[in-house]
Amino acid sequence: MNGGTATLTARRLAIAVEARGLRHRFGPRVALEPQTFSFGEGGVVAATGPNGSGKSTLLRIVAGLLRPSGGESVVTLDGRAISAFDRRKVLGFSSPELSFYDEFTTSENLEFAARSALAALERVNLAERAGDRVGTLSSGLRQRLRLAFATLGDPPLLLLDEPGSHLDDDGHALVERVVREGAGRGLVLLATNDEREWRLAERRIQLRGRDLGHSA
Amino acid sequence: MPNGASSSAAAIWAILRKECRSEWRTRYGLSAALLFAVTTLTAVSFAAGRMPDRTDVLAALLWIVLLFAALAALAHSFVREVEAHTLTLLRLLASPSSIALGKLIFNLLFLGVLELVTVPLFLVLMGAPPPNWGPFLLLLALGSAALAAAATLVAALIAQTRGRGALFAALALPLLLPVLAATVSGTRAQWSGGSVAPAAKLLISYTLAVMAVSLLLYDHLWEE
Amino acid sequence: MTLRVWLFVWVAAGIAAGFLWAPVVPVLEDTTRVFYFHFPAAIITPVALAWSMLHSALYLWRRDLANDDHAAAAAELGLLFCVAATVSGSIWAHSMWGSYWNWDPRETSIFFVLLLYGAYLALRASIEDPARRARLSAVYSCVAFVPGLFLIFVVPRIYFSLHPDPLLNSRGKADMDGRIMACAVALVLGFGALFFWMLSLRVRLGRVERARESVAS
Repeated sequence: MNGGTATLTARRLAIAVEARGLRHRFGPRVALEPQTFSFGEGGVVAATGPNGSGKSTLLRIVAGLLRPSGGESVVTLDGRAISAFDRRKVLGFSSPELSFYDEFTTSENLEFAARSALAALERVNLAERAGDRVGTLSSGLRQRLRLAFATLGDPPLLLLDEPGSHLDDDGHALVERVVREGAGRGLVLLATNDEREWRLAERRIQLRGRDLGHSA
Repeated sequence: MPNGASSSAAAIWAILRKECRSEWRTRYGLSAALLFAVTTLTAVSFAAGRMPDRTDVLAALLWIVLLFAALAALAHSFVREVEAHTLTLLRLLASPSSIALGKLIFNLLFLGVLELVTVPLFLVLMGAPPPNWGPFLLLLALGSAALAAAATLVAALIAQTRGRGALFAALALPLLLPVLAATVSGTRAQWSGGSVAPAAKLLISYTLAVMAVSLLLYDHLWEE
Repeated sequence: MTLRVWLFVWVAAGIAAGFLWAPVVPVLEDTTRVFYFHFPAAIITPVALAWSMLHSALYLWRRDLANDDHAAAAAELGLLFCVAATVSGSIWAHSMWGSYWNWDPRETSIFFVLLLYGAYLALRASIEDPARRARLSAVYSCVAFVPGLFLIFVVPRIYFSLHPDPLLNSRGKADMDGRIMACAVALVLGFGALFFWMLSLRVRLGRVERARESVAS
């Protein structure tokens, strides 16, 4: 894409995610086997694999939340590399590990993150629960809140770790909408084993678990 | 993504507001800390008795009470984030420096409230002669800033360990010894009519040095 | 291999010379001998601390776990030398000043160093993941540099110390016997070599342990 001021809406930004020999271990335990891939032209990518194969680890590294023990992950926006420190500014992130402040209402939690909180709540059909404290929400509603959080400010890069967990049928339709909208703006990287979700993806990264006896 | 807490001044402000609001909603941090401070104070004044003419001992006891109150209270804001698993959310919203600075200012306010209750009570219960208010308040302010600056960084570290609260006092104490030495000698000086300038200078330079080093280190606080 | 035999002979000869060859200082009499343990240990303590802090900073810069091995090993050995210096100094203080502990500025700063080493090692013990342990303890070590500087440079200038100042003496204030000085310097070198030899063992051990763990998994 050519220069111009980047507005994070409407226009599809040239966001690219790349991994070069990316791997991670927690102490002696291997959490992610070396990965090399490159996704340049937007759309939906799904990372699938058995429990413990490193789907979540991969997303946390790309999000800049986790420093990999080897290799590197590169995120570029309109050709500009974004350091791990600044990644949070260009991406939306949702994960089962993401928790909100129980003592705040759903809208207060999102207001803490951004001003367009109500719009994000509407997107996940949570607007009527805007005044409820997070501590009172069910696990499905909390998952919707995570999705709302991830889509705040319409980021060009969406990292969704098990976006459909705890959700009902309505919720799964909602995931599909969030993913398609995200793909319209840029790149969506999913970590999932749920067929309804990885079917949305045009490409897949197949992670192999190592600790669980899947080796050949 | 987040435009609510993007620029760092706005982020620090947003985090400070969040801390205050959360404290106001739950209140368990402040009430526990106040209770602890008053308990320490009661134990000290009950055991030592009133000593209006021993200002050298009073200065030491006052800062021991404040030190313990701070040690009991200041780890709380980081430990709570870890226990509620909200650290990921926080890290997605602001840079480590903004988070730490927001918490630092909150801790400073927290200490201020603690002192507002503890110090007058101390002066009354111990039968202390009226302090030289100007220098005395200056020392309190500078001492609190130094306490908060060192303790906030240690709190961020211990929140990620297994021991959490138990380690906090052990790790913070070596960093707080120079603060204790300066504040006690300064408080003695103001009661005996001496100058608090040496102590004030020491506290200011110590706080600035700790802040400068911390700003370099904050970026390494969280990587997982 | 042979180097460590020579090191043993060197330190043994230094201690023997301190007792048999060097004279005693008139007022101190036989307590002069404490100097041969106390002084080298007290010199190595801040060296170990500085080494540990330097490698902590290097770890944050380069993220090489070998730096963390250095930082941890130097802290453990530093604690050993620090305890040796504190105990020997305290015994000497008892016989010369009449009490084991006086909160003399030197005592204050060595006590601070003891606390610091203790805190650093306690922090390490409470974190399981090696990378996280290395990172957090390095951050702590770097902050601790600030009060370290204050206690070494600021506190002794404010408070009066009874502690004898060997460096001043060597510059000719109250001349120390050349033989005492020779033994002391020889033992500083010996203790220094001992420190770095033990350090290298400990660092190698750390490397082997990591290699073994990664093979085992």
